[in-house]
Amino acid sequence: MSGVTLRNVTKTFGAVKVIKGVDIEIGEGEFCVFVGPSGCGKSTLLRMIAGLEETTGGDIEIGGRRVNDLDPKDRGAAMVFQTYALYPHMDVARNMGFGLRMNGWPKDEVDRRVQEAARILQLEPYLDRKPKALSGGQRQRVAIGRAIVRDPEVFLFDEPLSNLDAELRVATRLEIAKLHGTLGNSTMVYVTHDQVEAMTLADKIVVLRDGRVEQVGPPMELYRNPANLFVAGFIGSPKMNFVELSSGAMPDGTPVAQTGTARTLGFRADALRRSADGPLAGTVSVVEQLGDAVFAHFRTPWGQELVARFDPGTEIRAGEELRFDIAGPRHLFDADGQAMDAALRPAA
Amino acid sequence: MADATMGRTARAPARREAMVSPRARRTITSVVLAVLCAVWVYPIVWMISASFKTNNEIFGDTGLIPDAPTVENYARAWSEANIGRYFFNTMFVTVGSVVVTVIATALMGYVLGRRRFPGRGLLMGLMVFTLFIPQGYTIIPVFELLTTAGLGQSLWGLMLATCGHSVVIFTLLFAGYFAQMPKELEEASRMDGVGPVKTFWYVMLPLSKPIVVTVVVLQTLQAWNDFLLPLVITLANPDLRTLSVGVYSFRGEHFIDWGGMNAASAITIIPIVILFLFLQRYFIDGLAGAVKG
Ligand SMILES: Nc1ncnc2c1ncn2[C@@H]1O[C@H](COP(=O)(O)OP(=O)(O)O)[C@@H](O)[C@H]1O
Ligand SMILES: [Mg+2]
Repeated sequence: MSGVTLRNVTKTFGAVKVIKGVDIEIGEGEFCVFVGPSGCGKSTLLRMIAGLEETTGGDIEIGGRRVNDLDPKDRGAAMVFQTYALYPHMDVARNMGFGLRMNGWPKDEVDRRVQEAARILQLEPYLDRKPKALSGGQRQRVAIGRAIVRDPEVFLFDEPLSNLDAELRVATRLEIAKLHGTLGNSTMVYVTHDQVEAMTLADKIVVLRDGRVEQVGPPMELYRNPANLFVAGFIGSPKMNFVELSSGAMPDGTPVAQTGTARTLGFRADALRRSADGPLAGTVSVVEQLGDAVFAHFRTPWGQELVARFDPGTEIRAGEELRFDIAGPRHLFDADGQAMDAALRPAA
Repeated sequence: MADATMGRTARAPARREAMVSPRARRTITSVVLAVLCAVWVYPIVWMISASFKTNNEIFGDTGLIPDAPTVENYARAWSEANIGRYFFNTMFVTVGSVVVTVIATALMGYVLGRRRFPGRGLLMGLMVFTLFIPQGYTIIPVFELLTTAGLGQSLWGLMLATCGHSVVIFTLLFAGYFAQMPKELEEASRMDGVGPVKTFWYVMLPLSKPIVVTVVVLQTLQAWNDFLLPLVITLANPDLRTLSVGVYSFRGEHFIDWGGMNAASAITIIPIVILFLFLQRYFIDGLAGAVKG
């Protein structure tokens, strides 16, 4: 078992630079999630680790071995594709055992591994079905089983849940988290554009944007201390509220204490408390009842839409005028969008 | 498309009332189709009928049912006219050319459909261009080529030449089909450590079954019914004749054995009819799939 190291990795397609110098260190047995908006280069990076795309520059190491010039099959990595990529004409058992059998493994060893994978993934009743006769979730499990039988050092997942419906997505997400526990110390690299998946699955999140790493860290670290505006806006749901500051005041002139030279003030929905003399005013436009929380979207005097979280059961109606205190953690960003010294933030 | 459908359903009732009832319309359609079908099938029925008549009766205008059915024509065709031998030749040419054509065009189609390489467009353009050259102009050069290769007087040569007829069409069929397959299949197989040849053989080729069946059927028909090419190649060598050429040889200098010719023709088409009965579903699926893809 082994980790993955990317050192100043770049990738160009023709004249277009898609990966612009990425350094990532993934520890052995770690569950690492690449997250970022669509088109930021997540899949490309994963495929470079897999060996499906050539590396233009930099080094990729798996288990301390430089693998840049190795064939995919020699890298010790197995990949689970977004579209499952099951062989439609083979039944589940053959799908999972195909690679091993083609490489001359003895039949009973292949069967043993397929059985073992089927047991872990609860696929035993379906071993002789074709992919066509399986549900989306079952197909996904077969795709994972195909990776498991190879007993790889590194598992690579490219948006494995995005073709499933919402309910199944949550269930399969749990399965994958369990699987990481079951398979003990195998390293997993998981790509998604969904920050909820990233938050729930990852030991370590890598936030990517436009071919660059924006921030690396454990989920809660990224949630509490986003390094810049992009990460702050990307991680967490609902999205963090941002208010432009000029000389320490909000657009309507209300001063905000202890903001120094910050250009942007950020605070999450749950940082707001209703308060009759709070600095932030707004007219409620939409109320979302989520059962365990109430989100009130409100419009500020300068016309910005912000969102506040209330405890379940709170009665709020659209059209209501509210005032808020920023009681929870505040995030300050300079003119370049970089987070400013934590010392400026009052303790939460 | 949604618009068109809606427009049709909205207007249809009014139109239907003005015309005949749906049932009457179905009946009319059936009758018209039956008549067309009869016209289509008549020559074959006549041929089968004539193959059971004596040469005298064929010209006696006795209708489709033979007065005194006889299998003598078949016996004569099979032994005296050497149809048995021709049958074997045709079988050899057909089976051989089908095997060669399927493998060759699937491989070419695979590369053309899935690999980008310099000159790919030019190559495909040239291939399509050859479609516009009539067979008559190429037959002599093909014969030359076979003679140069020392195959001018052998069944192998005839078989190889027969492969050439529709290679371009078949290759394009395969290329179109392979081109629309998701690239993840190959990538999954690559991650599994399976090489390109095995991936082609165990993953891509089985998945192209509809095209394989289409090519098998079309090439079988082509090879089995081919006339001009085997005629030219076997001119000097009657032993190599195929059925279609063999049937033609019933036309003697002064006398045409119509009964024998019809019996031989019937023998000729039986395998094709059987093949089509077995494969028609796959065949139609394949063509539909190819057009769609
Ligand atoms: N084979 C390719 N040729 C050219 N451009 C590509 C290719 N693959 C991906 N790209 C481009 O690289 C960028 C990143 O793609 P991708 O890694 O798939 O993004 P993500 O998975 O984060 O959505 C996109 O702008 C995409 O258009
Ligand atoms: Mg992607």
